Amino acid sequence: MWLALVALSFSGAIGLTFLMLGCALEDYGVYWPLFVLIFHAISPIPHFIAKRATYDSDATSSACRELAYFFTTGIVVSAFGFPVILARVSVIKWGACGLVLAGNAVIFLTIQGFFLVFGRGDDFSWEQW
Amino acid sequence: MSGFLEGLRCSECIDWGEKRNTIASIAAGVLFFTGWWIIIDAAVIYPTMEEFNHSYHACGVIATIAFLMINAVSNGQVRGDSYSEGCLGQTAFLSASHSARIWLFIGFMLAFGSLIASMWILFGGYVAKEKAIVYPGIAVFFQNAFIFFGGLVFKFGRTEDLWQ
Repeated sequence: MWLALVALSFSGAIGLTFLMLGCALEDYGVYWPLFVLIFHAISPIPHFIAKRATYDSDATSSACRELAYFFTTGIVVSAFGFPVILARVSVIKWGACGLVLAGNAVIFLTIQGFFLVFGRGDDFSWEQW
Repeated sequence: MSGFLEGLRCSECIDWGEKRNTIASIAAGVLFFTGWWIIIDAAVIYPTMEEFNHSYHACGVIATIAFLMINAVSNGQVRGDSYSEGCLGQTAFLSASHSARIWLFIGFMLAFGSLIASMWILFGGYVAKEKAIVYPGIAVFFQNAFIFFGGLVFKFGRTEDLWQ
């Protein structure tokens, strides 16, 4: 459990490093890509809303859960689309865009890793928080 | 209509088991939101009315409303599974399944209509007028195509058997 926590925080740091490099390197110096952090922050929210809403149901799946997957995918797509659009209108350079996209990928994998490692308890109870 | 796909059984490919709904939801999300980001891209690159008439956005908005309408009713409601009340009461003019079918009908009409309108915009507004910049027309077409297919995948790619 400790190893997973440390590994996840390391990959989170790497992801944020890529994002900051994409903004702060001398060649780039534009900080608009930091807005993708908003997408990172809201990406787990649909999952938690669906988990709360269908807490006492033991069905394999439900419309609420699938809607949550739909919106989470939308948020992930938006986090990748936003830097690409910034680069296409030359607000940021393509090199910065590449770094931001790499940072996105690593951060989303980290978030997914958190859910895989810490969310799979057999009786998921809110006392874990 | 989730039974419709069972007829095309290729033994390994359709029956993904418990993950089917998840994969369909994720695929639909990718398609739908990619469509919207394509139009955002076109709107950002070509902000003027001559290159990209802003009223063309209506096509994508109607397509999104159609997506929501189609996916708001479940297949069970359309089949008339449960004895829930219709919108005007149980013994009134329209039963729940009739209301659901009319809702679905209008939703599909809006979806097909917006797809056709996007093709019209591309060919009538950009290709026929031989405009120098065609990308906004292509973007409108692809936005609506992606939203349409995202709606189809979300509606028919999921099975309601997993909801029991």
